[in-house]
Amino acid sequence: MIKVNKTKVQDTSAKYLFILCACLSVVAVFGIIGYILYGSIPAFREVGVFEFLFGDVWAMPTDTYGILPMILSTLVVTVMAVILGGVVGVFTAIFMVYWCPDKFHLRYKGKVKFLAKCVEWINKINLRTIFDQVIKLLAGIPSVIYGYFGMQIIVHNLATVDPDYRGYGALSTCIVLAIMIIPTVTSLTKNALEAVPEQYYEGSLAMGNTKAQSVFNVLVPAARSGIISALILGIGRAVGETMAVQMVSGGTANFPTGLFVPIRTLTTNIVAEMGEVQIGSLHESALIATGLVLLVIVLIINLSINLVPKEFKGKRGKKVLKGDKEAVIRFEKKGLIPEILKYFAMVCAALVVFALAAVILFILINGIPHLSAAFLFGTEPPSLVPAFITTGYMILFTLIIALPLGIGAAIYFVEYAKPGSKFVKVLRTFTDTLAGVPSIVFGLFGYLFFRPMFGHYSVLAGAFTMVLVVLPTIIRSTEESLIAVPMTWREASYGLGAGKVRTIFRVVLPSAFPGIATASVLAIGRIVSESAALVYTAGMVLVGTSTVAGAVNPVNPGSTLTVFMYSFFAEGLGFEEAYATAVVLLAITFLLNLIVFFIEKSVKKKR
Amino acid sequence: MFDFKKKEAFRSREKQNKQAGGNGLDVFDFSGDTAISVRDVDLYYGNFQALKKISMDIPKHQITAMIGPSGCGKSTLLKTLNRMNDLVEGCRVEGEIVIGGKDIYAKDMDLSALRKNVGMVFQKPNPFPMSVYDNICYAPRTFGIRAKGALDEIVERSLKQAAMWDELKDRLNKSALGLSGGQQQRLCIARALAVQPEIILMDEPTSALDPISTGKIEELCLSLRDDVTIVIVTHNMQQAARIADRTAFFLLGEMVEYGDTEQVFSAPKDKRCEDYITGRFG
Repeated sequence: MIKVNKTKVQDTSAKYLFILCACLSVVAVFGIIGYILYGSIPAFREVGVFEFLFGDVWAMPTDTYGILPMILSTLVVTVMAVILGGVVGVFTAIFMVYWCPDKFHLRYKGKVKFLAKCVEWINKINLRTIFDQVIKLLAGIPSVIYGYFGMQIIVHNLATVDPDYRGYGALSTCIVLAIMIIPTVTSLTKNALEAVPEQYYEGSLAMGNTKAQSVFNVLVPAARSGIISALILGIGRAVGETMAVQMVSGGTANFPTGLFVPIRTLTTNIVAEMGEVQIGSLHESALIATGLVLLVIVLIINLSINLVPKEFKGKRGKKVLKGDKEAVIRFEKKGLIPEILKYFAMVCAALVVFALAAVILFILINGIPHLSAAFLFGTEPPSLVPAFITTGYMILFTLIIALPLGIGAAIYFVEYAKPGSKFVKVLRTFTDTLAGVPSIVFGLFGYLFFRPMFGHYSVLAGAFTMVLVVLPTIIRSTEESLIAVPMTWREASYGLGAGKVRTIFRVVLPSAFPGIATASVLAIGRIVSESAALVYTAGMVLVGTSTVAGAVNPVNPGSTLTVFMYSFFAEGLGFEEAYATAVVLLAITFLLNLIVFFIEKSVKKKR
Repeated sequence: MFDFKKKEAFRSREKQNKQAGGNGLDVFDFSGDTAISVRDVDLYYGNFQALKKISMDIPKHQITAMIGPSGCGKSTLLKTLNRMNDLVEGCRVEGEIVIGGKDIYAKDMDLSALRKNVGMVFQKPNPFPMSVYDNICYAPRTFGIRAKGALDEIVERSLKQAAMWDELKDRLNKSALGLSGGQQQRLCIARALAVQPEIILMDEPTSALDPISTGKIEELCLSLRDDVTIVIVTHNMQQAARIADRTAFFLLGEMVEYGDTEQVFSAPKDKRCEDYITGRFG
């Protein structure tokens, strides 16, 4: 009789299971590229690759498809948005790290007890945390809300300066995109700045620099690779943004020749026409080919992060000194420019807070008057109940599939993978790539791959698509929490004779639970705010026909809250209910942020 | 925001600037024999008293070493000499420290001017992530020197002064982070020399280095003695004996003994100092 070592079998099989989970990103990336490439072949064959890329007319009736205006519009708008949003984002981060005071230092000498209490209370607020939360909230607000905000506030105000009194076009798009990339740029820049060694600051101060001089001459340059990466990710985000751009860009495929020229970007081309497409037509293929071009652009941008040198390697060439023996060396006090930049950083930070306040106030003022019991809980359309049900299903099905896969992959990365091995590097690159894919491309993939499984739009098809969208987020934050589990605990468990699998499930995972919970909440946030990936997978039910009976079956098409909100715009209805929906979405976003905040706080307290 | 005291300090600084010929940096007068004079200095971190009634005169163009066990306050005192202690929250200094005829804790003291004249080298080498050339040019540039000829001159002079010219003249464009630890530390000294300070404070500059690099830095200190006043905090008693002209021994925040190095090491007056030097504790 052969003795089988049970633990050993368990360990080996578990290992392969985890590897499989980790490889899913690779499969997904290849699947997405493959399917979209396959779908766009007819367009390239009929139209010709060159004519498709460099043609300047897009006309469905004559089957003429050229996307040059859209490529250029996308690039121009992105560059403008990154200059605007990038500068504000980077300087906001600089303010947050170096000048944001910890607390208010208000003083109150009057005798009114209530006021004294208030002042005491205000002084207890930790400003840095609040600022952090402001940035996170900005990042969490669904892009559809930014779309409505852009349409009603930015476009509306720009219309007064626009010669045609419309306001839609390149400038509005660029401003909306700038606001949307600020959180990405700010939080990543902040991480980069916080990683700069303290000694640089001391060293520079000891040479007689002021704080502002040290910050702008040493510390910010020392973080430059991180800041460049942050800007590149911002560019990727701007290129891939769909819904908000669709609502403010004007939609006509013009060359971006002026600030007020209505434009159409690559993403909006897909979302604007995919709904009326005939399945199997050249038109469909041309739209998928647009997606392919978009995907290629985004992949190139995101992969270029790897080219940014991690640390300063020295300049090229040899320096030959040509000292001037006669030169007058006279030291003077300087440092006006860094002082000015310091105040500029403060202005940028104020702008960001102002932007968030404007978006929130805009939604609350427009939405709260239309929040009625009938709308929130009624069964007659228009009602939010079907959207609630669909959103619930979406979260449920996505997490049921994505959580085990994501946690499995994270376990592989942390517990099994040899750090630095080629295989792991490849897996990681693919996970990062998956994280950078624009949601409209996920939508296209779902449209091509998951939707045909059901023969029509379906909430389940949407959920399958969302699994791919949230997978990188879950892997990343689970990984972080696993890394944070002290090595000694694992050693203790091995020392007691436990196998690897037992150690992982009994020791590592339970103590990483808060991190996994955070990962789930972040994933829920992403699912709630997503719209572009869902419109052509889970579908968009007409506002008038969305009923509870239809929403209860998850195989049916269904609109989540964000898609429901978007459909008011898409159908050209009044926006009252859309704003009311926005209030609900905002409340959910706020709640999710709060949950993450408290989980992280409780973890910090324990350590 | 409307801090009137600050405004007043600013005005008196302006006045000084005009008197000093406008550049605002040469407000110190180092013509006397004493470079630094510390008078009855008490220093508190919150409620903890880290320095107790320290008084000492540090002579010009000599090397003064501060020794003592960890936590005795020697580094703390060093940091008060160019006010790097300002960075520490809850740190309070009482008493008077006079450098070049100025009370450096006076309200109208300009920190840039002070630190330009009183440079500092830290325990861990901290060259910036820039080229060797830019590292040395860093401080001159922030003090308004832009002309290439002048900068080149400063770099050459500082590197020669730090005895690194031959090693580094061919790699001025290379990253300073690529140098060895000892080279990095000497580069930091060269960097401090670039703005022609009168005094250089060294906070255990060799504690992270190997014996050969340590020897080079000691040699460098001795060769710099004619140009600058050096105050060095060290853990290593032999080092103090090798290079210092004068030595101060600290214990628990007090200055127990201060005198010529030979006297302190051969005939210490205080029993505690003798015990420490002969290795009975510490």
